[in-house]
Amino acid sequence: MFGVIFRTSSIPGGRRQLFGVIFRTSYILGGRRQLFGVIFRTFYILGGRRFLLGHCPMDAPVRTRRKDNEWCVQLVNRAGQLLATCLFIAFYSAKVFAESKLLPDEVQIHGFLTQGFFHTSDNNVYGQSDDGISPGLTEIGLNMSYQPWDRLRFAAQGLYRRAGEVDTGSVRLDYGLADLTLFDYDSGKIGIRGGRIKIPFGLYNETRDVAFTHPTILLPQGIYFDRSRSLLLSADGGSFYAEQRTSFGDFNFKFNVGLSPNDLDEIKTVVLGKRSARGNFDTKPAIATQLNYELNGGEYVFAISYMDLEFDFNPALGEPLRKSTTHIQPLLFSAQYNGEKFTLTGEYEYRWNSFGNFAPFGGGKFVSESWYVEGSYRILPSLQATVRYDTFYVDASDKSGNGAAALGFPRHVAFAQDWVFGLRWDITPSWMVRADYSRVHGTAWLPQADNPDTQKDIQDWDLYGLQLSFKF
Amino acid sequence: MQKLGYDKPSFGTILALVFTFVAFCPFAAATEVVVNKSVSASYSKADIRAIFIMQKRQWPNNRQIKVYTLPDNSPIHKDFAINILNMLPYQIRKIWDRITFSGTGVAPIELESEQEMIDKIATTPDSIGYLKSRPDNDSIRPFEVQ
Repeated sequence: MFGVIFRTSSIPGGRRQLFGVIFRTSYILGGRRQLFGVIFRTFYILGGRRFLLGHCPMDAPVRTRRKDNEWCVQLVNRAGQLLATCLFIAFYSAKVFAESKLLPDEVQIHGFLTQGFFHTSDNNVYGQSDDGISPGLTEIGLNMSYQPWDRLRFAAQGLYRRAGEVDTGSVRLDYGLADLTLFDYDSGKIGIRGGRIKIPFGLYNETRDVAFTHPTILLPQGIYFDRSRSLLLSADGGSFYAEQRTSFGDFNFKFNVGLSPNDLDEIKTVVLGKRSARGNFDTKPAIATQLNYELNGGEYVFAISYMDLEFDFNPALGEPLRKSTTHIQPLLFSAQYNGEKFTLTGEYEYRWNSFGNFAPFGGGKFVSESWYVEGSYRILPSLQATVRYDTFYVDASDKSGNGAAALGFPRHVAFAQDWVFGLRWDITPSWMVRADYSRVHGTAWLPQADNPDTQKDIQDWDLYGLQLSFKF
Repeated sequence: MQKLGYDKPSFGTILALVFTFVAFCPFAAATEVVVNKSVSASYSKADIRAIFIMQKRQWPNNRQIKVYTLPDNSPIHKDFAINILNMLPYQIRKIWDRITFSGTGVAPIELESEQEMIDKIATTPDSIGYLKSRPDNDSIRPFEVQ
């Protein structure tokens, strides 16, 4: 696919014309709703920057690029702009189509589009946010559901994501599954799903990239890691599910077995501390299971989630790293109360880690611990204020980071405590804007791709975020 | 010269006030759950909730239930959520968004207006929806709650 983009964008004369046409089309489309025009232009500019940067022969960030690879940066920018344009047109057409009533009731199309802006006092999140404002988080999702008969349904969602240096712009299949209802009886149902399935973990993991489904811009990072997210997104395999309604609440059970896709670049960062490691990871089939209990239509929600993840590291020839296996088993307890004015949420994670013996952290078994408590208050039905305290220790038996210090890392890589204050305004059922302020103590969840030199990270820092989101 | 003043509220303002009153006053609630005439079953309140949050997907004769709703900001929808389902509109939206964007289910089909709801329920077998008051249409009947 990238090959196609490169070829299209490198036709010298035709290229400008093509862009002219696309631009004009999108202006006509956007003419009625100017906001879409503005958003498109933003995506067009943002999409070009940093896209596929890894494909250019250089290590330095874009702002200090050398002349030698100017051509490559140009090409990559063009490819990114083309991709952003195509995605935007696809998104807009899907929206118009979904609302045109041409669709039969068996088919449903939905989508979302999110743009975030970040500023930090120190350290970088989603791009260069220190000493500036980074527009580094873009998410566009489109999904379709088709039900050929009562018991069988197909569903798929494509996701474009650009997240600072962690993900410089890529499209992936978020889920693509067939869902077969085996038994549908008066008080419940039992079924199976096959294909690429979202991983049920905690209250938010299945919809972690859909801004509308959670109260603050950033999910609690101790549990919903963004930097090692590809392990938690979706897995290729099967799922068994059972739902039971009773007079004292609804039970929902899921048991998934699947392989995480092997694009584990960020895992290299987390596990090896070095993105440049040339070896590769092999994921083994992972188990993810969840029992969910809801009272009074979701007024009270309780859930237990457990995962068993395993992956091997295979070093490249001549690399001074050893072949080894890593095992991660998180257990997560979740509880939520959804009242008229108040929503109270708490989640506690206990995670067993058995890291393989590769450099530079060395191997070892340790337990990570993370929990948060969050309160939201609805000032108006469409205006919600949220406060959250969130804590995370990489090694629960070494909360001050002695182990990290012994290895020459700053102590603050071992922990993170965040206070988050957020305000969310649902302007219409389709548009939402929100702003967050976080005071962070520690750097345990900071993405290394955005902060290459751990020694330069600052222990206590502020994070400001602004996010605009649309869905249909 | 045209006089600028606020002494005469516009029709829209009055309408908005009336809607707000209707939406928040439990005594004015007359929202009616309706089904296509092909549906013969009668149910409890718990069943209605299970149908609208897309847990219960089949009628007793194994036909799939076709669920229709109005937009989240429609006064009829708000009244329906609070008084019939005994849920807040945001709780229902949360459930629908979760199933829609995780691929684990489908949300109801959202219609734009009450008139569209009447047309849809009248012409779609096995369908269920809700209206502001009892319908005057041979193909639609109120859904009996026991």
